[in-house]
Amino acid sequence: MGIALGAATVVVASAALLPVRTHVTRATPALVLVLGVVVAGVVGGSIAAMVVALLAAAAYNLVFIPPYWTFKVNVADDWVALAVFVVVALAMGLLVAGQAERRRAAEQREAELRTLYDHLRAMSEEREQLAEEATRAQVLERVDEQRAALLRSVSHDLRTPLASIRAVASDLRDGTAYDDETRTELLETVCDEAERLDRIVANLLSLSRIEAGALTPDRQAVALDELVADRVRRLGALFRQTRIQVEVPPDLPLVDGDYTQLDQVVTNLLENAARYAPPASLVRVSAEERNGMVDLRVADEGIGVPDWERKRIFEPFRKGEGSRSSGVGLAICKAIVEAHGGTIDVERTAGGGGATFVVSLPKREVRAP
Amino acid sequence: MTRVLVVDDEPALLRAVGAALKARGYDVATVGTGQAAIDAIALTPPDVVVLDLGLPDLDGIEVCRRVREWSDVPIVVLSAEGSEERKVLALDQGADDYVTKPFSTAELLARIRVALRHRKDDAAPEDDAVLRVGDLQVDLARHVVEVGDRKVDLTPKEFAFLALLARWPGRVLTHRAILQDVWGPEYGSESQYLRVYASQLRKKLDDDPAQPRLITEPGVGYRLVDPAAEAGG
Repeated sequence: MGIALGAATVVVASAALLPVRTHVTRATPALVLVLGVVVAGVVGGSIAAMVVALLAAAAYNLVFIPPYWTFKVNVADDWVALAVFVVVALAMGLLVAGQAERRRAAEQREAELRTLYDHLRAMSEEREQLAEEATRAQVLERVDEQRAALLRSVSHDLRTPLASIRAVASDLRDGTAYDDETRTELLETVCDEAERLDRIVANLLSLSRIEAGALTPDRQAVALDELVADRVRRLGALFRQTRIQVEVPPDLPLVDGDYTQLDQVVTNLLENAARYAPPASLVRVSAEERNGMVDLRVADEGIGVPDWERKRIFEPFRKGEGSRSSGVGLAICKAIVEAHGGTIDVERTAGGGGATFVVSLPKREVRAP
Repeated sequence: MTRVLVVDDEPALLRAVGAALKARGYDVATVGTGQAAIDAIALTPPDVVVLDLGLPDLDGIEVCRRVREWSDVPIVVLSAEGSEERKVLALDQGADDYVTKPFSTAELLARIRVALRHRKDDAAPEDDAVLRVGDLQVDLARHVVEVGDRKVDLTPKEFAFLALLARWPGRVLTHRAILQDVWGPEYGSESQYLRVYASQLRKKLDDDPAQPRLITEPGVGYRLVDPAAEAGG
């Protein structure tokens, strides 16, 4: 291919210069003929360049060096011109061919690299996709696990009070002879446990509302002192074994919140404290205004919450050591408080090892009359 | 006075069970943790223990296992519904019986009575005994079974199965315990054998299908009804 193209160039160039060969110097046809060698070198490589260089030398001699159409050379000058032409043509052809080969090799390498790169990219994309799918599968699995855990713990939580209720009810039905005091105590147990069931059901309803994203507080002005006092009174049965002390000042700023939801937060925190408080210990409820927020604290003197569990305790189904409750209560508190634009945290009870839950809620803005 | 230790972390349940036991003349002690239960059994050994499996500190099954290392006090476990494998585990680790929560007080009291009777029976020799469970008689020496005055023909395996249950009337025996006693120590998971033998036995004993004397405890094992304990007292 290279030889053919170079030879054609040589033939065409010779033919073109044939009519004017007597009017030009020896240098002009030499320069034009070298063009053919260059073409052969670029297209066909070094072998083609050499072949065409010799071909061009022959053509130079035949066509442009007198006597024309013979390989004879009469003048010494022409010998020199021919020799120089051969050397220049060969050197030029080899140089160009080398250059062209290097370029071709570089292009080939580039193409190879590009193929490799495309391949790698395809692989990494595939890997990313696989990783994504794996993550999705993991998330689904976790959701399934959480649902199973929810069902297990909910059925356990519902059955625990039912067990006490059923034991007492079946016993009383069978006509066991109790003195009045024991009888009253047993009936109180039934009432307490029925109320506990009711609180569990309320939490479950809240949980389903949170899951459905339907936990929008119906905001109004809430007086925490009244709410806490009322709730403590209703939960009196929980604090038979412990003492409870309420220090919520009546001049506390009003809170901007949903009464029912905040009531549930207080209920869950009190129930939690009652569960962990050792007999005869003190559960203290206090509140104060701080940094434009209202802080409510529920402190117990129980086993407390280890540091590593402080954040996780608000995740659903996390329960502190020594508890068998489902642990949705604190998760619900967190969801409600955060829906109100507040925060909830747990810290160590001052001067003791127990847990103090701190709920910060936004104040109700008082508009000028 | 018969002393009962009730172990549960639910104060309400302790109140309910405690009151019911006291009203029937038992001396009742209650604790809320597994460790406290082990301590109480060691310090003032009760006649029977009622043990919840879901305790805050130690698993109830673990409590059973530890107590069995040095005490043969009867243990009746309380367990949540739907945890058959936990019940079986507890029984295999030394519990004597179980009651599923929620339970009726009468049921719990019957189980306690069965457990207490076995404690007394354990002391008595049982070699040449004729076992009597209601109108059922199992003569271990002569390999003869009678219901009322009617003689019942049993194959050797059926006889061994029934004799084992009759030795522990009213008490649940796990599939594994029955298989290993009747078939041999290399058996343990072939509970399908027991289904066949139990149904044969019911036919031959002429059990009332509505109120069989041979009761299946689904997923756990079998129990021969003990009329003496069911009646109360």
